[in-house]
Parts: sequence; C-alpha cells; structure tokens
Amino acid sequence: MSNEERPDDALLSAWLDGEVEGSECARIQAWLQAHPEDAARVRLWSADRDALRARFAATLDEPVPERLAQAVWRRGRVAASGPWLQAVAAVVLLGVGVAIGAWWRGGAVRDAQQTAGVPAWTQRAVVAHAVYSPEERHPVEVSVREGDAARQREQEQHLSRWLTRRLSVPVKLFDLRSEGFELVGGRLLPDANGPSAQLMYQDAMGQRVTVYLRKADREASAAFRYDRKGDLGMFYWVEGLCGYALVGPQPRERLLALAEAIAKQDQPPSR
Amino acid sequence: MQADDVFRNQLLGVIPRLRRYARSLVFDSPAADDLVQTTLERALAHWHQFDQRRDLLVWVLSIAHNAHLDQRRRDARLSVVDPERASADQDAQGGDPGVDVGLRIDLVQALGRLTPEQREPLLLVSVEQLTYAECAEVLRIPVGTVMSRVSRARARLRQFLDGSERSADGGQRGLRRVI
Repeated sequence: MSNEERPDDALLSAWLDGEVEGSECARIQAWLQAHPEDAARVRLWSADRDALRARFAATLDEPVPERLAQAVWRRGRVAASGPWLQAVAAVVLLGVGVAIGAWWRGGAVRDAQQTAGVPAWTQRAVVAHAVYSPEERHPVEVSVREGDAARQREQEQHLSRWLTRRLSVPVKLFDLRSEGFELVGGRLLPDANGPSAQLMYQDAMGQRVTVYLRKADREASAAFRYDRKGDLGMFYWVEGLCGYALVGPQPRERLLALAEAIAKQDQPPSR
Repeated sequence: MQADDVFRNQLLGVIPRLRRYARSLVFDSPAADDLVQTTLERALAHWHQFDQRRDLLVWVLSIAHNAHLDQRRRDARLSVVDPERASADQDAQGGDPGVDVGLRIDLVQALGRLTPEQREPLLLVSVEQLTYAECAEVLRIPVGTVMSRVSRARARLRQFLDGSERSADGGQRGLRRVI
C-alpha cells in the first residue's frame, strides 16, 4: 500500500489495539498525523475503550462469592475427602460462621471467616504459589543461592531494593532460618492494579513456602486470617501499607509459626 | 490428585476476570454469576482436557462464550429481552429503546444495543485486553473476522453514544467503511 492509500476503519481499529506492526504501523501513525479527522475518530474509540475498562474494573477487586469458590472445590471431591465435603455441606446448610468456627477450633490467632470476604488478592497469592513452587529450574526470578557468599549477599540486597522500588512499600527478606527455612529468592508478579512480589523459602526436605506481598489498598492493619484451598493453607494479614500472604502445603500450626516469625521481623536479615 | 488441586487453584485465580467478562456480557450481576458458575462447572468437568501450556483464562473464556451461547439458544426470549431490558431499565424517559434514535444514551445501554456478535469481540479485546488471536480462539472465528467485528462494534457504539444512529447510512459513510 502506498502512503496515500487511506487505511480503512478495521485497520485503524486494529492499530488502536496494537495489532498492526512494522512499516504498516508507521504508515498509519503518519496517516493519522496528517488526517486530524481520522485521528479524532480513533481518539473517540480509544476513549470508549477506556470508559468500558473503567466501567467494569471494580468487579476485579470484589471478593469471590462463596458459591463460586465452592463450585471450584466441590465437584468430584466426594470420595476423595469426606470431611471437606461435610464442611461444605454444613456451610451451605447452616451458614458460614458457625460451621467454620466449629471446624477450625483453637489456635492463638483468630481464624478467617474462611469464606465470604476472603480478599481477591489472596487468591492470587495461592495461585502464584501453585504456579511457581513446583518449579525445579526456575522457581524464582532473582536467586539468592547462586555463587559465593558475597554474590549471594549482593543478590539479596538487589532483590530487596528492586522489589521495594517496584511495590512502593519496604520489602524485607525475612529470615526464617530459625524455623528451618532458607530463602531461595523472589520474583515480581502482577497484582490486580499493580505489581506484587513473591518470596520463596525452602526447608531441608525441599518443601517450600511462599510469601506474597502487595501494597495495601489503604493503610490498615488486619489480624492474621487463615484460609485453606485444597492442599494449600494460607495465613494472610495487613500491616501498615503492606498486605502479606504466607502460602504452603504445611499444616496450619507450622504455617502459623512461620507467619508469626515474619510478622515479628522489623529488620532485614543481616548475613 | 495433585494436578487437580493445582488446576482448582488456577481456576480460582481466574474467577475475578471471568466475573468481569460475564458482567460485561450479561449486565445483571446474579445472572452473570450464574454464567460464571456454569462455566466453572464445565471447566471442572473437562479439566483433564486443558493443556497446561495454554492460557487458562483464554480456555475458560471460550467455555463462558459457549455457555452464554447455549443460554441464548435455550431461552430465546432472554436473548431478545436481555440487552433491550438493560437499555429499557435505564431509559426511564420511556419510548421504544429500539427506535428512539437521536437520544444520547449511556455506555451500558449502548453496549446492550450491539449484537452479541459485535459485543463479545469488543469486550474481549477492549476490556479483557486479549489479542485478536486469543479473541479468535475464544470465539472460534478467524482473526480477520475479529478485526472487522471489533471495528464495526466500535463504530456502532460511537453512533449510539453520539445519538447519531439515524444518520449512519447517510452522511457518515466513513464510519461504515468496514471489511
């Protein structure tokens, strides 16, 4: 096509969506600069696109309704886990709080309401754990276990600084060695409206836990809450500007000890 | 069993985006969540067919698309009423929302007046920000069709929002110039 040939609306629309590449893209840009009427029309489409995104954006941060979360966990698990199904049935029939309160008794920390009201971001923490923790070769984006001690220390500092800068909240590399867990490294992840981070720890048996960090929607502290999805347990809480979720397959008591160790640490590990 | 739980966790993670798409497609929140639930149940029933190399969201959106299509076919009345009702509800001034051209209407009403064939690709590309190739995969139509439908949907939406539907065939030929 020559420069003079008018790009049709389908092409202009595709250009707006980033679907046109190379010289064709440059040609359309030049065309729009030279043809303000076409440029104005594309701008209106772009504004409509922004308006559509804004109109439905709020849905993303709504907590997942309990009936949908249950739809995910219920089906086909009858034979596999009777107690779980009983719990689900109890929730359905008797209401949320009573059944769960009876189910998860004890513990120094108040349990999550478990169901409705579990913030959407904690699901992302669980998924991030499920996605990355089985990785053998690339569990993390920045490893702190490669090279000699000096190199490891350098990587730790880099990781902490990098994640702090991207999340706009101080990211500490918690020292969980007293609990038998070594830091493997971390990675940057997408949250709903910005970046989040995942730190990964591993014990001598190769079992892993992850800590998911995100900038909180507003400054507020929230008590530890516990939730369990399938094989994975999670403690999550908010402290100051940062939301934390500790995820792992370990028993609840074990996760609690780790979560408490994390919450106690104000200083980055000094190695 | 392990893979199963990984899959369930992944599925849980796409629920917010699935809900957003359903909400933008169906407007009515409970009905949208019904569509999400149907989609999740179908996804679980066929989870072993999911290739982990693929993007789960794209796979699940294609299930949602089919479920929505089935719903429209099963309940023909709903398919006619749904978008119309959305515009009628918000068009308190009265009048037949199908013919009262020239009135400015809001975004959701305008969206409701698009045909489902226009609305779906527009939403998948604009709101869900899928590529045309992913959108084509979800809707099982060629990429070229995605391109022309998105473009046509944009032009129609603009006409509705401008209240200039009537003049579309007259003075605004340029707007109609699509593949």
